[in-house]
Amino acid sequence: MQSADHAAAVEASRRQDEGGERLRARMAAAFFAAVIAALALVPVLTGNTSFAFYLMLWITMASALNIVVGFTGYLPFGYVVFYGVGAYAAGICYKVLGWPIPLALVASGVAGICLALLLAPTLRLKGVYFGIVSLALATIMRLIIANLPSDITGGSMGLILSSSNNPFASYYAMLLVMAATLLSVLWLAQSALGKALKAIRDDDGAAACIGIDVPRTRLVAWLLAALFPALAGGVEAWHTNIIDPEYAFHVLITAKSIVYAMAGGFGTIIGPVVGAAVLLGIDHVIWQKFPLINLLLLGLVIIALMLFLPRGIVGTVLKRRPQLRRFIA
Amino acid sequence: MSGLLLQGIINGLIMGVIYGLIGAGLNIVFGVLRVVNFAHGEFVILGAYFAWFLLQALGIQPFLAMPLTFAVFFGVSYLLYFVLIPPLAKADDPEISSLLLMFGVSISMGALMLLVFDADARSLSFEMEPVFLTFGPVVVPTVRLVALAAALMIVAGLAYFLYRTHTGKALRAIIMNRDAVRIVGIKVEQLSAIAFGLGIGLAGVTGILTALVFPSFSPFVGADYTLIGFVVIVLGGLGHPIGAMLGAILFAVTEQVASIYFNPSIATICGFVLMVATIFVRPTGLLGRQALR
Amino acid sequence: MLKVEGLQKRFGGVAALRGVGFHLPRRAILGVIGMNGSGKTTMLNCINGIYQPDSGSIRLDGKEIGGLPVHTIARRGIGRTFQVPRVFSHLSLLDNLDVAQGQMGLSAAERYEASSYWLNKVQLFGLRHNFAEELSGGQQKLLELARIMVAKPKVILLDEPFAGVNPGLAQLLIAIIAELPREHDCSVVLVSHDLTSIYQLSGHVIVLNEGTLLCEGDANTVRNDPAVIEAYLGA
Repeated sequence: MQSADHAAAVEASRRQDEGGERLRARMAAAFFAAVIAALALVPVLTGNTSFAFYLMLWITMASALNIVVGFTGYLPFGYVVFYGVGAYAAGICYKVLGWPIPLALVASGVAGICLALLLAPTLRLKGVYFGIVSLALATIMRLIIANLPSDITGGSMGLILSSSNNPFASYYAMLLVMAATLLSVLWLAQSALGKALKAIRDDDGAAACIGIDVPRTRLVAWLLAALFPALAGGVEAWHTNIIDPEYAFHVLITAKSIVYAMAGGFGTIIGPVVGAAVLLGIDHVIWQKFPLINLLLLGLVIIALMLFLPRGIVGTVLKRRPQLRRFIA
Repeated sequence: MSGLLLQGIINGLIMGVIYGLIGAGLNIVFGVLRVVNFAHGEFVILGAYFAWFLLQALGIQPFLAMPLTFAVFFGVSYLLYFVLIPPLAKADDPEISSLLLMFGVSISMGALMLLVFDADARSLSFEMEPVFLTFGPVVVPTVRLVALAAALMIVAGLAYFLYRTHTGKALRAIIMNRDAVRIVGIKVEQLSAIAFGLGIGLAGVTGILTALVFPSFSPFVGADYTLIGFVVIVLGGLGHPIGAMLGAILFAVTEQVASIYFNPSIATICGFVLMVATIFVRPTGLLGRQALR
Repeated sequence: MLKVEGLQKRFGGVAALRGVGFHLPRRAILGVIGMNGSGKTTMLNCINGIYQPDSGSIRLDGKEIGGLPVHTIARRGIGRTFQVPRVFSHLSLLDNLDVAQGQMGLSAAERYEASSYWLNKVQLFGLRHNFAEELSGGQQKLLELARIMVAKPKVILLDEPFAGVNPGLAQLLIAIIAELPREHDCSVVLVSHDLTSIYQLSGHVIVLNEGTLLCEGDANTVRNDPAVIEAYLGA
């Protein structure tokens, strides 16, 4: 009899605890849905989609980076390489091979995954070593592409895809990529895989000791984190019609992805979205009002964030008010 | 043929020592503070601008400007330490947070230099007689040789400081074991500020050397020096002051010798591939002993 | 259950283990004592795969497990704790236990039941939503024990479970460990400096000294062994 009571009590507390977890997921899902819906309406309501397009791009970049930084603790300083390779894969498939755009975008994703598999051995490295090797490999990749015959990559001139121009369709393609990224992050945060990744981030040795296959689990996160920036690179190439070898592998792209995600808070799932929106907004205002000191102010904003909000906006809120952890993931 | 090779090796050695100084500055800051100074390259460039200013405005010769630059950079960054670094201790992952913080510093400094000095490439208009020295098949600009001598003197001074003085020994003790040092009762805070000042002071002086060895500098090239600095210290062993020098010479000789046979970007690839390959064979670099987290 | 024979491990020129062996029967608690540097932790690290032993055999239920990867050995049923507790600091206590059951193919309800059982057992259920980093050191050790127990291991390796734990929590730990063999069909290898609790818990004790087996036997035999007295008191 007592054990029946006990079972019922366990069941009740399980319901309650799971309800809490589900509430958190629902809040995040509702937030994401609102962001997606608002961005879907932008081209219908206004003529100027540029800011919204780049907001989607940076939300994608920051959220995908969060998969590898927030969930595994690796900081790939050459993260831009996936974006750049995605852009070039789409460009080469469209321009040189004559593939239709949708197929070229699939090629972007495939290229990102293949590159991630190629770079997977670097996951053996840790901390700063991983970051620097990643940066060096991104530089190598940029130099290799710059040295390929220019009838493939366009050499230092880059590729121009003028005949594919379709700002409307490419806008919604980016929306799709962003939505897929957010869904993946949402799923990951709830899944056993996501918990295993966080366990690995906290202590990989102890994670192995409870039966988690650390290299394999990390690899899954790594592939996911590579897929979305590659797709984003492909879609952006389509949207702007230009692939510039300097820009496509520029360290600032990595840096901005990191800074936006960091500003929101790594490891929280809505953090990178909040961070990208806030900082891109600030950046936009600065750019319009003070174009000359734009970069200077961006740098100062980063310094201020690191000194005063080292856990990011969402991370700091959760640290100060732990009771909010029930609602915010 | 062998003359060209010899020329490449000589050039590689000269650049290697300078890269090594960049790496040594980074390594002291990383080793003592666990701070990844992503703005190191900008401090190098700022050193070059500082010497340029001293030469243009006050007529101070670059080699005389070195001690002055070191003193100014050391003093300013000694104070800067107390503003920037202590708050990092609160972060979840101080190492990565420091990287991002210093990245912010790097962007700000690059932008400031762009505003103050414009985007044009500058160079130190400084010449010595004779302009070139010839040793058999090898031709070396005199300025480079003098710069090499100055660099070697700085290395010797640094080694003396780290291995013979009380403060230097304490710094090395912190690099080896931070916790133990705290227990022994060394003033970690003040020594950390000294290490920060020393690292950035070295960056400033190295900036003057790079301005003498390379034809020009501009606000945009700081990141390149930071990357090279990291590549050489990762190659040599993070936190290991001498490892940086070894890694740098290896990297620079590889790059310079490769540039004889291939175009410059292939040569850069060769240097980086060397670093990546070394890391896979020896995950803590050539001289790194302890596995760093 | 667990049979270890001729285990050897060198680091560079230093021999950390020089042919250690023992047999752990089912539902037994084996005590392991020895000075610092006698090879206790190295032995645990070899058994659960953190180190590759240079030679020797480690058999679980008659099957060789020496040289397998850490996570495979864990899935075969060997759990382990650490001298300094290694919890997942930024996961809640519930998630710390949940993630340890990720390989078992259980439903969420089954996992929750095991988690809540063990959290109650170590008296941390009320803190289940807290991050593990918010626990005291002693509580983290209890959480670590709960984390390996939810996976229903056959053998657990406890490395200094009482070090740095306040006396109250230590009593709780001792009580839990004492009932593991009978109630949870689990065998225990217990490494400790704390001779009193070892004598209290373990029927059979082995003494390591400089990587070799100094002596073994029941608590009384070991306590009165001249070699042990010399090693402990003479040094």
